Amino acid sequence: MFSQKEFIEASRAFVCVRLESYESEEHQKMVRSFLNGRFENTAFCLLAPDGETRLSGTGRSPAQGLRQGRGNRGRGAGHEGVVEAMEKVSGNYRPKGAYEGAVLQDFHSFRQGLNVASGDQRLLLYVVAPEDDREKLRTSLRPLMSDGEIVGKFHADFAENEPDAKWREVVKGERGKTGFFVIKADTFGQTGNVMEELPLESDLEELKSALLRANTSFARTEKRKIYREHVAEGRRERVYFENGVPYGEDRDADGVIDHRGGRGARPGGGERRGPSSGRRGPPRGERRPGQPPQRPRVRPGGTE
Amino acid sequence: MKALGALLITFLSGGILLGQGGPRPDDLGASPQPIGEAGVAWYTTWETALDEAKRSNRPIFFMAAAATCSGISGVF
Repeated sequence: MFSQKEFIEASRAFVCVRLESYESEEHQKMVRSFLNGRFENTAFCLLAPDGETRLSGTGRSPAQGLRQGRGNRGRGAGHEGVVEAMEKVSGNYRPKGAYEGAVLQDFHSFRQGLNVASGDQRLLLYVVAPEDDREKLRTSLRPLMSDGEIVGKFHADFAENEPDAKWREVVKGERGKTGFFVIKADTFGQTGNVMEELPLESDLEELKSALLRANTSFARTEKRKIYREHVAEGRRERVYFENGVPYGEDRDADGVIDHRGGRGARPGGGERRGPSSGRRGPPRGERRPGQPPQRPRVRPGGTE
Repeated sequence: MKALGALLITFLSGGILLGQGGPRPDDLGASPQPIGEAGVAWYTTWETALDEAKRSNRPIFFMAAAATCSGISGVF
């Protein structure tokens, strides 16, 4: 759905924010607030510009959230229904201020930016500047990153002193200490290569040319990832991305990440992509409080 | 025959059961559009998104998603 032209067009009338579920406790709390206290790896809601007023139902995806929304019952909220519901909501708001003045995207850390850029298969514009210059750059870059030829093609991040001090250790090809770095993340988003590098004094046209040049090259050489093949390769190579909070889900909303047998019992093996409509309660074989121990049921050919 | 069909659908969908109402990978923030083309312009911190929503009076499309699968990075 997110790749459909109609959806992308409709999305421009919104401020679209996608937070990393496992990045921090803060993000986890937000997810719980939209899922009745549960923590699962995805959540969705439409909100008013105040960031608090809900304009739709909530759920794990737009299709789920908009199906629950007022006035959308029974619509089914397929892809067309999602776009229709989005247009209905955005039609109630009159945007103010030029689109070209849009606040710049940022990440809490370079490693998150690199991983997300890899996941989206987009290039990352990484801005490394002295602390005193950052705010000025955040403003001066606004027209460029909102430009019709640029918007939605890149991710952007500003280096911060603390979390990003070691960014050079995972990136190859950088020369200067400061500058605009156009970075291609590796398959698993943990290392990267600099495709273009410009000094901070470069004007916006120069930077735009560099971004578009790198993007053309990237589009020509990069292959679209296939989810199951990527995960299988990651397992073979024992890839692991340490995140801010433990992987896993809390589907019974007891405030504790559920532990299951199999993969879920290992670090990083907890989250699933399936729906929340599955079995709930304690893992099989565990007793509920107050329930007497049960003997295993015997079936022909063995026990269950 | 039905079981075989379900198995085939599961295989073709990357191992995720269809028909259960859960989100598909392309509903989770992944963008299977051609590489290099413009997609959704995501904000990736709440603070910047809220600043922009207040500045522009545009409503917020909120998603939380993980660019990992079982700790394996680089994928939505």
